[in-house]
Amino acid sequence: MSFLDMDEILIDLANVIELTASPITDIKEFSPVDVGIIEGSVSNEHDEEVAKNLRANCKILMVLGDCACFGGINSMRNLFTIEEILQRYYSTESTTKDSKIPSSEDIPPLTEVKPVNQVVKVDCYVPGCPPSAKAIHYALTELLAGRIPVLPSEMMRFD
Amino acid sequence: MCVVEIEKERRPVPACTYPARDGLVVETNTERLERYRRQILELIFTEHNHFCMFCEASGDCELQKLAYRYQMDNVRYPYTFPSLSVDSLSDYLVIDHNRCILCGRCIRACSEVAGSHTLDFSQRGWKTLVTADLEQPLGESSCFLCGACVQACPTGAIFSKLSLYKGKTDECQQVKTVCPACGVGCELNVLVKDNNLVRIEAPGLTEPRGPLCRMGRFGLLEPTPPRVTSPLVRGKQGELEECSLHKAVEVIVDGLAGVKDGLAGMISTRVPSETLSLFNRFIGEVIGSDSIDTLDGESYRIITEGIRQFQDNGRGLDIECPIEGILEADCIIVVGADPEKTNPIISTLVRRAVSQRKAKLIVVNSSRDVFPLWTDLWLKPRAGSEGDLLSGLARILIDKGLVVSGKASARLIKSFSRYGIGEVVRTTGIEKERLELAAEMYGQAERGVIIYGEELLRTNDASSITTILNLANMTGNQVGDRLRVISLKPRANSRGAWEMGLAKGIKRGKLKGLYLLLADERDSEELLNRLKGIDFLVVQASYQSPVTSMADVVLPSPIWAEREGKYMTMDGRVLESKRVLQPKDGLPQDQEVLTEISRRLGRKLS
Repeated sequence: MSFLDMDEILIDLANVIELTASPITDIKEFSPVDVGIIEGSVSNEHDEEVAKNLRANCKILMVLGDCACFGGINSMRNLFTIEEILQRYYSTESTTKDSKIPSSEDIPPLTEVKPVNQVVKVDCYVPGCPPSAKAIHYALTELLAGRIPVLPSEMMRFD
Repeated sequence: MCVVEIEKERRPVPACTYPARDGLVVETNTERLERYRRQILELIFTEHNHFCMFCEASGDCELQKLAYRYQMDNVRYPYTFPSLSVDSLSDYLVIDHNRCILCGRCIRACSEVAGSHTLDFSQRGWKTLVTADLEQPLGESSCFLCGACVQACPTGAIFSKLSLYKGKTDECQQVKTVCPACGVGCELNVLVKDNNLVRIEAPGLTEPRGPLCRMGRFGLLEPTPPRVTSPLVRGKQGELEECSLHKAVEVIVDGLAGVKDGLAGMISTRVPSETLSLFNRFIGEVIGSDSIDTLDGESYRIITEGIRQFQDNGRGLDIECPIEGILEADCIIVVGADPEKTNPIISTLVRRAVSQRKAKLIVVNSSRDVFPLWTDLWLKPRAGSEGDLLSGLARILIDKGLVVSGKASARLIKSFSRYGIGEVVRTTGIEKERLELAAEMYGQAERGVIIYGEELLRTNDASSITTILNLANMTGNQVGDRLRVISLKPRANSRGAWEMGLAKGIKRGKLKGLYLLLADERDSEELLNRLKGIDFLVVQASYQSPVTSMADVVLPSPIWAEREGKYMTMDGRVLESKRVLQPKDGLPQDQEVLTEISRRLGRKLS
């Protein structure tokens, strides 16, 4: 949402950025790019694989948002064991009767929640829950100018 | 975070532990230090569990501000995710250990400002926690709920339930005013957002009148009874019904005519002097009655009678010393008073004198020790024998030669010699040795303070107050020309009202009608008995209560935050209070109501 909050700036950006893969295009394979952006924390084996895959295919890796930068609110999960978490989610009163914890080879197992920089090397960070449109714009503008963005203090937000 | 570089030191050192000396060259702001500080911040963030996005303090947090300043956009170390508890069982406070950075400010505030030392570190190393007493929940600990720790906490680790999510500091207006909760007269910094009270802070936490107490910091934010939002009069069925001010005034004018001679006025001393003065003129000039009193007028009459018997020179309450006298005391006697209940800052000052200045503390109380952890000597006289005990102390002081020569007149010595120690022991039920010990502690003190209050005044015995003044005088416990004696006054403007002559007293005999300006008094139950048998009762009050439901006419009145004006503290300082909240729409101010009644009675309220 915060990304969309850039409003008309998005049109200008569209003219100078080539978006090769994103949740919007739903393309899951990465081809080599200049900049990769990750949003969200690494919380299962699949996430870790995606992060490593993108890292291998981009020159600069930027992470966006508190979850990607620090682990964020997801990482409160780390205060409990994964078994406790699954029990809580699938066996509380709010779920259907006789529910059981889903298990299938296709479901990636949960891991400890980590910020992206604990899995792959990260080049720049845009924290915020969410980051402001202004901060995202600043970071993208810096990247387009060929610089590694470091958010100035006044654009920093952890909430 | 206080790391600095010092010339010839190989490594940066924490400034707070490095002894200063002549010729020291200190660098506080170098690139290397910036790097180190950011690194320290990252380590602090990994130590406990910090989640800004749902923390009440986000936006008002010093840790967060530092992280922004040092552009901490990531953390290079693994988080430890310790399993930490949240203690939310206290009435007003929550301690969330997840957000605690162990800076120790709350501990210093608790010990040095509140004089309580409930909080301290427990455990060691990475297990260190701030805990109350011996790891008690705060609600079951020795905490007095003064809230100094909340104000000192740089993060959201200690916060108040009453201010939770009501607004951030920069969304609020801040108004400095006077605390209406008791006679001490602390300064409040009130934070207001959209005409709602958000938070109350102490502008000068370390000042003697600075720390604030549970009544000032939290009590004023507590949910209130329903407001009186419109004038009410008795309808045909005898029920109170809403009506216009015009109609209410009509009923009042009729009612007053019916009880012409037996009319009296009574007023709360929580209101500023301007309102008191207006009310005084209203009762005296408009109603034409000299029967006027304050809710706490009885206390005044006993105190001043006690002072008059001691020294009839018209100085009145000016004979008492300012409350700062408590902080310099080396011995304190608290007699017939429970300052923690009535004036908690007084009890804070007593605790500080005891813990920081090693003052001796003697409690004289027939039912309980009001400073259980601090008292050196608790004298427990039989109820009602406090006066005999005090006279007994005077006798022992004289016998032991602990009086300043020339201070005790022959007449005085003679009058105290009536008290045989054996008799005092029999009347009070206290052993002679304990009385002697108390007399020695006080007699040898250079700055001994005697504090008395409500419970002593309730014995209705002015002579015990005279004895207290005599004790202070003959032992030379005075500061300038004031005796080191302090009487606790219950309300914000008690002394102001008393000195203005509003505590004349009401002649009960022919009392038929009463105009009661109750303002925002909450605990008015004890008034109910005093109001029985009154034919015509007008109550002007902020809140609905059993008293308003007894009234023939009820009129609205602003609460403390909607008023402004002067207050006189219990030790005689005049302070100016500011309006904090705009009064609710259409709610008449006291002045409007009184002026309107005067107009209809054909009199002018000057």
